[in-house]
Amino acid sequence: MHEEPREEDLTAYALGELDGEARTAVEEVLARSAAARREVEEVRAVAARLRGTFASVPPEALTPAQRAAVEAEAAREPRSRRRSWSIAAALAAGVAASLVVVAVTFVPLRREALPRVYQGNQPLTYEPPHIARPAPAPPPKAAQRMSNEAFEKLKALGYVQGSPDGFEQNALSKDVDEFARSSAPFNTEAYDHIRDNAFVLVAQDPRSTFSVDVDTASYSNVRRFLRDGQLPPKDAVRVEELINYFPYAYEPPTGAVPFAVHMETAACPWKPTHRLVRIGLKGREVPRGERPQSNLVFLIDISGSMDAPNKLPLVKAALRMLVAELRPEDRVAIVVYAGAEGLALPSTPVADKAAILSAIETLSPGGTTHGSAGIRLAYETAAANFIEGGVNRVILATDGDFNVGVTSAGELVRLIEAKRKSGVFLTALGFGMGNLKDATLEKLADHGNGNYAYIDNLAEARKVFVEQVGGTLVTIAKDVKLQVEFNPAQVKAFRLVGYENRVLAHQDFNDDTRDAGDIGAGHTVTALYEIVPPGVDIDVPGVDPLKYQPPAGRGQTSGSGELLTLKLRYKQPDSDHSARLDVPVEDSGQSFEEASADFRFAAAVAGFGMALRDSVYKGDASLRTSEAWARGALGEDEGGHRAELVSLIAQARRLAPNR
Amino acid sequence: MASSTKARRDWIGSAIDQYQARLIRFASRITGDVESARDVVQDTFLRLCREDLDLIRDHLPAWLFRVCRNRALDVRKKESPLQALDDDGISALEEPGVGPHARLEQDADARLVRAALDLLPAAQQEVLRLRFQEELSYKEISGVTGHSVGSVGFLIHDGIKKLRARLRPEEPARRPEGERADA
Repeated sequence: MHEEPREEDLTAYALGELDGEARTAVEEVLARSAAARREVEEVRAVAARLRGTFASVPPEALTPAQRAAVEAEAAREPRSRRRSWSIAAALAAGVAASLVVVAVTFVPLRREALPRVYQGNQPLTYEPPHIARPAPAPPPKAAQRMSNEAFEKLKALGYVQGSPDGFEQNALSKDVDEFARSSAPFNTEAYDHIRDNAFVLVAQDPRSTFSVDVDTASYSNVRRFLRDGQLPPKDAVRVEELINYFPYAYEPPTGAVPFAVHMETAACPWKPTHRLVRIGLKGREVPRGERPQSNLVFLIDISGSMDAPNKLPLVKAALRMLVAELRPEDRVAIVVYAGAEGLALPSTPVADKAAILSAIETLSPGGTTHGSAGIRLAYETAAANFIEGGVNRVILATDGDFNVGVTSAGELVRLIEAKRKSGVFLTALGFGMGNLKDATLEKLADHGNGNYAYIDNLAEARKVFVEQVGGTLVTIAKDVKLQVEFNPAQVKAFRLVGYENRVLAHQDFNDDTRDAGDIGAGHTVTALYEIVPPGVDIDVPGVDPLKYQPPAGRGQTSGSGELLTLKLRYKQPDSDHSARLDVPVEDSGQSFEEASADFRFAAAVAGFGMALRDSVYKGDASLRTSEAWARGALGEDEGGHRAELVSLIAQARRLAPNR
Repeated sequence: MASSTKARRDWIGSAIDQYQARLIRFASRITGDVESARDVVQDTFLRLCREDLDLIRDHLPAWLFRVCRNRALDVRKKESPLQALDDDGISALEEPGVGPHARLEQDADARLVRAALDLLPAAQQEVLRLRFQEELSYKEISGVTGHSVGSVGFLIHDGIKKLRARLRPEEPARRPEGERADA
């Protein structure tokens, strides 16, 4: 590459098309040239707008008869199909289908597509081995029009002769599909019911305790639904995961505490008489060069249900991306599980990248899922290669369809909990659609000192394994719990937005044996509290005025003007003892418009989530207002993630104009 | 697995679920109507049935789009033999499936971007769509269209550059007709 990369290279870099030396060369230029960085950002901005413009997929589909014809063809015995492909069989398939679906004008095939056997005016022979056929159907007259000319034309286009797949075999096996779109029903997906956190009167209980959550799966899942032209089921929308999907520009910590705390308060946009408090945590950044040595075990589900274009091939692509990010001294092992679990690759240093890539390449689906045996073997492999002070992590890739062996979520959770004590962390990656067991995977990650992401396309894989690889691999603090104590002089009632399945009992806060969420390097965690100030009526559902309690108690410091005190407990990744941090907060009194872009954007995402959930607390939050809030808070938007949200909300509005 | 008939059928069924809408949209930009695009896509899947799926599964989208594009071009050539492969006929089409009502709802930015896009040559629009609508990589786009990877990179770079210039707030998005020739 030249001293200065060509403009095209910057564009290619911005779009994630470069790797290896070409990418390093551009990164060197970016490190010293602000103009080049700006260029890359502008390219990404245009890319995000293009994606937004192209986002909607019209719900076109094959006709039932066309589809039946293809499926009949697909069901034919492969051997005979390859040896004696005949146009007649395909026609018979079409005829068989049209016997079911009465379609007079049905034109099942373009005859030129099948030129190999039918030539000129030869009589057609019928050899359909598996297709029931009451009587030989006469060939449609269009079949007579097949010409050698058409064949030659197709041949010239590289369409019919030789090995049509040969060209992709080498060049394209690296990149797999980006998205999963379909109008198929999602009837076997499992989501746990979520009931929105209610308002709590401070006089009744001034504390709120919950565990951090850096999972982002719900956002990618919601995105998949919307792009498919469907509204997501309400229980698939976890507001905190939507909020935490986005990076926020919180300053990283400077001292010994592994994360920094950033609080901000402003008017609540969906309920202007209420206040909104944002708690922002930012984990310490760990540059690639300083990342501890890694001992990774990929635990790959190769059961039959993974045999879909957006599952195993996408898993492979994602793993290849991750391997490219690793350093030579890191180690990778691969455990597969299906009918029987097995070690597909013993722990191998990344210096031997070829061996790892070839093991990934040869993974192929088959068998039913027996998750627990695989999980055991993966943890054992990780333990056997344990690196003291390093990153020891099992990376599970599955659609979560554990249907053999230990299948109850409870048993799996107990298994994972037992393994957690070994010091090995877990990353759960959900793939695919249709039978995604979202609830199972989230539980596994929660109980296994882990994180959970849903990977619906290559761009998402890139975010998890390239953009945020540090956060995915390196945990900088574990069992991070938050407890907020509200000052009754300033707060009448409060409501934690999201985190419904992360709420802890107050006594768990100081209990170091209670597991909680982890923060990865560079991760941001954002939580919002909606607050009802004193003197404002609580006209919210679910809250009855107290009949017997005295008015809010006045502690010694209640006159301090402080709104609340945030207490945090966290453990260093290798410690069993927690440290504690107290951060008091005063309300600056600022309006929503005066708040930072990060604050306004997080509020917009919360509004979007509440509108999708049709929450009783949504107030003025609708898809329309959320879109406006988000649009006004794009900020720097590196990576174009915020712009994507705007286009996603627009898509949701088309599906549900009244939400 | 692929040797089992049912598994094979299910696999192809899931490929249809996933790709039919995208392929029909893509093909109908070439053929000009949804009906013949459906036929083209049916052909594409019928061809898929004949292939050794183990060789294809890792690069399915590129394979599908390539076969689909060739079929669609062939159909179009047959129906209007005088049209060149890469003329502006492709771009004349409205976004399929976006009815007048939905179009009113469409957000203003998308309209601006679309107007700017329409000024680019058809071949360049196609490449941009394959990259940002279908999310294919440069290599895959090269496989689908037959342009070299370098040309794909240039077309995308140049396309983004022109869009950037046209979408800048101070500049009007509409340009005189003559602009097309320069791209």
